[in-house]
Amino acid sequence: MASQADYKDRQFLAVIGDEDSVTGLLLAGIGHVTAPPDSQKNFLVVDAKTDNATIEAVFEQFTTERKDIGIVLINQHIADRIRHRVDTYTAAFPALLEIPSKDHPYDPEKDSVLRRVRRLFGE
Amino acid sequence: MASTKLDIDNLLQRYLELLDEYTQLRAALNTLQSGIYHDLARANFSAERGIRYGLDYYDDRMQATRKVAVTATTTTAPSGLVPIFTVSQTNPAAKTPSSPAPAEPTTSDLEEKEPPKPQKHDPLRWFGILTPMPLRHAQTQAVRAVEELLPQLATVSAAMADVELAVRRARKKRAKAEAAAEKAQQQQQQQQQQVPSREAARSSQGEVSL
Repeated sequence: MASQADYKDRQFLAVIGDEDSVTGLLLAGIGHVTAPPDSQKNFLVVDAKTDNATIEAVFEQFTTERKDIGIVLINQHIADRIRHRVDTYTAAFPALLEIPSKDHPYDPEKDSVLRRVRRLFGE
Repeated sequence: MASTKLDIDNLLQRYLELLDEYTQLRAALNTLQSGIYHDLARANFSAERGIRYGLDYYDDRMQATRKVAVTATTTTAPSGLVPIFTVSQTNPAAKTPSSPAPAEPTTSDLEEKEPPKPQKHDPLRWFGILTPMPLRHAQTQAVRAVEELLPQLATVSAAMADVELAVRRARKKRAKAEAAAEKAQQQQQQQQQQVPSREAARSSQGEVSL
């Protein structure tokens, strides 16, 4: 059960995505960099050079370590790279949403919410 | 037993309504995001050579102007609280725990800083003063996605998780009730079988004594 202490300070959206996805969302004003010396960003731009360990570490940081993030957005094709982590994530806060990217349209088969639906109906 | 079945049916009905809402929101988000990517591509295409509206222009001191607020409502299901996510524009000048302490204001600072300019934190300014129209259009669509669709999706997803929990509990309860009913029936059958056998034993004893 969610207590008020779990969510009252969660005020930022975080995003893990390709450059265009992150740029689009930052244009809406969700980007935030904390004060130095930490200077923690609430976004990660993933390109071909980014390895899975980095994505996983940032995912862990956004979902577990930081207590100021309310919603985590992740491109679906990037979520596929750390699928084991995404599918086993069950915490209420932050909420996790998979979003489509420019080169990878949304695939309902891979969506973790719709996977839960199939599990409920015994498929 | 019948009431449990009815409960499960009601919960599943609610779940399917939420699923319908979720798929509609997903479709709307897909359309909106396609528009954002299309506009970004148009902006990059029309930009001067070598300019790409992206990572290189991000402000390293950016402050969020749109923030999440989470409220919780109690549900009819016994699983407790369901969060409701909303995103709204906030004043980034307002002090947050993570923001650095401002320096002592001087007279010239006060003259310059008041009133605060709302455009100061506009992410469009990272890309210059005269930003292309497609980029502005992309921003409008992104704001709609962030303020309307994404918090709604998060809320519906949380509500679905809550109903899933309630359905699982109700199914467990029904399975327990069925098991208890079956056990009771078996005991009753055993008792019925024992009664005629005792009567037969008594009658056979009577014959022997005669």
